[in-house]
Amino acid sequence: MAESVTLKVNKREGRGTRLARRLRKQGHVPGVLYGHGEATISVVLPADDLVKAIRHGARVVDLDQGGALEKALIRDLQWDPLGHDIVHVDFARVAADERIEVDVRLELRGTAPGVTAGGRLDQPLHNLEVECLAISIPESIRVNIGELQIGSVIHVRDLKLPEGVIARNDPDAVVVQVTEPMADVEAPETALPGAEPQSAEPEVIGRQKAEKEEEAEE
Amino acid sequence: MPLMPKRVKFRKSQRGKVRGKATRGNFVSFGEFGLQSLEGGWLSAEAIEAGRVTATHFLRGEGRLYIRVFPHKSVTAIPAETRMGKGKGEPEYWAAVVKAGMVLFEVGGMPEAAARDCLARVAYKMPFRCRLVSRRPNI
Repeated sequence: MAESVTLKVNKREGRGTRLARRLRKQGHVPGVLYGHGEATISVVLPADDLVKAIRHGARVVDLDQGGALEKALIRDLQWDPLGHDIVHVDFARVAADERIEVDVRLELRGTAPGVTAGGRLDQPLHNLEVECLAISIPESIRVNIGELQIGSVIHVRDLKLPEGVIARNDPDAVVVQVTEPMADVEAPETALPGAEPQSAEPEVIGRQKAEKEEEAEE
Repeated sequence: MPLMPKRVKFRKSQRGKVRGKATRGNFVSFGEFGLQSLEGGWLSAEAIEAGRVTATHFLRGEGRLYIRVFPHKSVTAIPAETRMGKGKGEPEYWAAVVKAGMVLFEVGGMPEAAARDCLARVAYKMPFRCRLVSRRPNI
């Protein structure tokens, strides 16, 4: 569980792209606070503080609005196209005793014996959708792969979740598995005798139909 | 054999322009680390294949490789010493249109150091400046 983080936010006056860009240039991130049937407030906060909180795995933060503390969940982050900077943040008001649904990172622990034996580790699920109390969101869910042999699979139903945390994913969904190593499939240098040569150009949709129609007319 | 569409509606396409940054396919989705293009342009099917072969040789059956781009665009060319005119040339190769920020390759099931080495080798084969990216924090 991540430690409680307090973020100092200020109310944002004015709207629009130009103002938001100006704020970002000054090292701030524009955001919005909503939820619980209360008024939606536009806010602004220092980018460094937000990045630091996210890097430390904070999900529920205390927003300090000039002395008044309010608990909020970081609901959404918008990134710039290159993924360098946070462009906008959404905060949703939450109560400490409220049950919420969030995505939690799955963390693989240990070395699978199947991998040392030449198998291939495949992890189709990187995040688990869980329902838990707002104040007890696990930072990550550890998956022990120390006993995973070739052909073994860990499903969502096999995961050991902390108390009070319920998985919302399909229980039969595969979290991690060790499969047989795939042989390098290289294209054959020479075509097998009798085999049809592979065409160098793709089939053009509608061309065969048009040719058939022309033949019928003739 | 390099990648190529199976069926197309038109054999030849207009060149177009590669402008702006990618707003889709610009983060790591399947693996744990990815190779992100920092420039825009055309990525030929041969270059994608070269990257795939390099990564496969490095992985040696361990980990997984994901190719995030596909060459949908046919690029035409006219033969050398041909007089101007007489219409558009014949398709020469297939290319993927890549915008700055697009994730080209992803790897998973391996430690960061190995992924960094693997994708650095792949980056040599790419015609763009690239960088290693990891998954975004899940919010």
